[in-house]
Amino acid sequence: MAERVLVIEDDRELGRQIVLHLRRAGYEPTWWTEGRAIAPEDAAGLALVILDLMLPGTHGLDILRDLRARADVPVLVLSARADTMDKVGALKLGADDYMTKPFWPEELVERVRARLRRPALQRDDTLTVGALTIDRARRVVQVRGRAVELTRVEFDFLAALARRPGAALTRAWLAEHVLGPDREGSERTLDVHASRLRKKLAPEECIETVWGIGYRLRTEPAP
Amino acid sequence: MNLRLRLALTTIAVTIPMVVVLVLFDAVARHRAAEEALVGYTLTRMQEPGGRDRCEADPAHWGGELPPGRGPPQREGREPGEASDLRERQGEGRERGEPRGRPPPLDDGRPRGRPAVLFAYDAALRSANPAAPALGEPLVAAIATSEVATWPRSWVRSWVSAEVEVLVRMPWDSGPCARVLAQGSTVPGWLGAVLPPTRIWLTPLVALFAAVLLAMGPIVGRIRRLTEAVRRSASAGYASAVPIDGDDEVGQLARAFEAAGREVRAQLAAKDRREAALREFLANTTHDVMIPLTVLQGHLSELIEGASAGAAVDRGALVAAMGEAHYIAAIVHNLAVMAKIDADAPRLHREPVAMGVLVERVLARHRPIARRLQVELDGAVPESPLHVDADVTLLEQAVSNVVYNAIRHNRAGGHVAVLLEGIAGDRFRLRVVDDGPGVPADELAQLVERGFRSDAARTRAPDGQGLGLHIAARVAALHGLELVFDSPPGGGLQVDFIGPRVCAEVADSTQEAHL
Repeated sequence: MAERVLVIEDDRELGRQIVLHLRRAGYEPTWWTEGRAIAPEDAAGLALVILDLMLPGTHGLDILRDLRARADVPVLVLSARADTMDKVGALKLGADDYMTKPFWPEELVERVRARLRRPALQRDDTLTVGALTIDRARRVVQVRGRAVELTRVEFDFLAALARRPGAALTRAWLAEHVLGPDREGSERTLDVHASRLRKKLAPEECIETVWGIGYRLRTEPAP
Repeated sequence: MNLRLRLALTTIAVTIPMVVVLVLFDAVARHRAAEEALVGYTLTRMQEPGGRDRCEADPAHWGGELPPGRGPPQREGREPGEASDLRERQGEGRERGEPRGRPPPLDDGRPRGRPAVLFAYDAALRSANPAAPALGEPLVAAIATSEVATWPRSWVRSWVSAEVEVLVRMPWDSGPCARVLAQGSTVPGWLGAVLPPTRIWLTPLVALFAAVLLAMGPIVGRIRRLTEAVRRSASAGYASAVPIDGDDEVGQLARAFEAAGREVRAQLAAKDRREAALREFLANTTHDVMIPLTVLQGHLSELIEGASAGAAVDRGALVAAMGEAHYIAAIVHNLAVMAKIDADAPRLHREPVAMGVLVERVLARHRPIARRLQVELDGAVPESPLHVDADVTLLEQAVSNVVYNAIRHNRAGGHVAVLLEGIAGDRFRLRVVDDGPGVPADELAQLVERGFRSDAARTRAPDGQGLGLHIAARVAALHGLELVFDSPPGGGLQVDFIGPRVCAEVADSTQEAHL
């Protein structure tokens, strides 16, 4: 079932665009064009609130304060003013994130998604990322059910990437945590291990090189 | 009310009550002196050799006026009608029968009181003298317990009446002369006991008053001139100086005015400079916004013409239009930041800022445009939150400018990476690195100056005034962060923000992680 998102935005055109993009991204948006207190029955079942701060008749912060007194639904604040007091004030009142206008629709959708992304429930030691299944206790890796033989370093490398799937990790950090703190030329050694690991995991392109940073474990199949 | 009038009224208000009190005090003193003199003369007269005998020999006619010149309560008979029947002969020398003439006037010219008259009474307060007045109740009561009886609160009477009356008990209680009533008056006129009897003392008082007013004249004049000068200076925008004369309070006032005027002139000059700078900045920014807006309009009309003609959508024009819109947003954000940090004393609202979240926000802001420009934008933040004490709006805009700069001045297929790391000594390093054309070493130092852009950048993106990096440098300086530019070996530009991080406990206790 689609997650419900309440959009409180008085500008017709901007509100229409936000609603359009949220719907396209698979959410079920409800749009209010005027600011009013969010009643408990409205708040029930909401996954997220997108709240404009400057509303006719009321201020978004008042709605936020009122909402926070009763509900913990995440709130993403939109503001046209890049003012620190506004941002800090909104965050102190319990907003979860803020965006300064103007923004690209996909930026908004990404932020909504980041806020609603639930941490994948992971059984104690087994991780599933894309096509990979990693059993950290037994130190076993499978690619689409096929077991892959890995060396100790290769397994540690993969397990380190899998701790934060989708996030780029720096070469320096990986070298220190996978190879140990004081190995000479360790970053180049790391590249060698990455190359071997990739070959073993082929044809799945699970490990991505990130320019200027290091490596990343893909969460979805390569395009 | 002007100064001179106020001074005159104040002087009068102080002087008149003082004079009145002195006059009243003088009257009381004269009354007391007259009472004492009457008692003294009465006792002297009765106790001198043969005095009591004379009285007791003829109590009905004993008494009379005291001889003039023998004491203050002399009477001059200024009210002959009232006093004539009381006037008796003096005992010694001039016995009754003597014409009721006045005593020869003294030649000192001073007014004298009426001569005193005495009446003898026995112990039961009866008098053999038919002319003796009935004794007042208070006197009768008082003489029962004291040697000398006077009217109670006689000092109040002294203010309205010159009459003085004392009843004296003689050292004996028998005979018709056991008590003596002495009547007299104080010296006519208002003064004489404490104040000089003539009113000559009023002259210095008036002179003092006049002197005060005269002395005020020049001071009032100087204050008027000063007022006029200050008014003239104010109407001329505090451009002219206020003349200063003298070292006294008026001179100090003029000096204070002059100092205030200088301060106002300095403030006005600073304000003018700020206004001029702001106008210039606004003009530049307007210019900078108008160019991308015009380009955006051009792209949009190109697109609509293409659409009307049924042509395929021109992706290049769309991407360019997006780029222009993104650029306009950046300029306007920078305008706001510039207005904040260009104030004389920028006020930072510092809070522990979660840098990882800030980097994610900046990446999210520029990812759409980077994707369209086919520049790969990636970032890495440490797993555990890293906090920096900063003004979140300013720091975010500074980082955003550096990242956007790296994207804009890159080419299709290029890369931009943002790395946030904790480094030794509880510090952090935020590195923005790209593989674009980079900046020649000799231009690196100039990069942060407002308006400067490298030639290569100018040819590729001729709009803009290089404000972004300038703002990044200003914000870094305001926060005490190092901003290090470098050219990485593979080409491109590397920008590092380096500074202290907030220790985790402090950050956790003060703010949520996402600030």
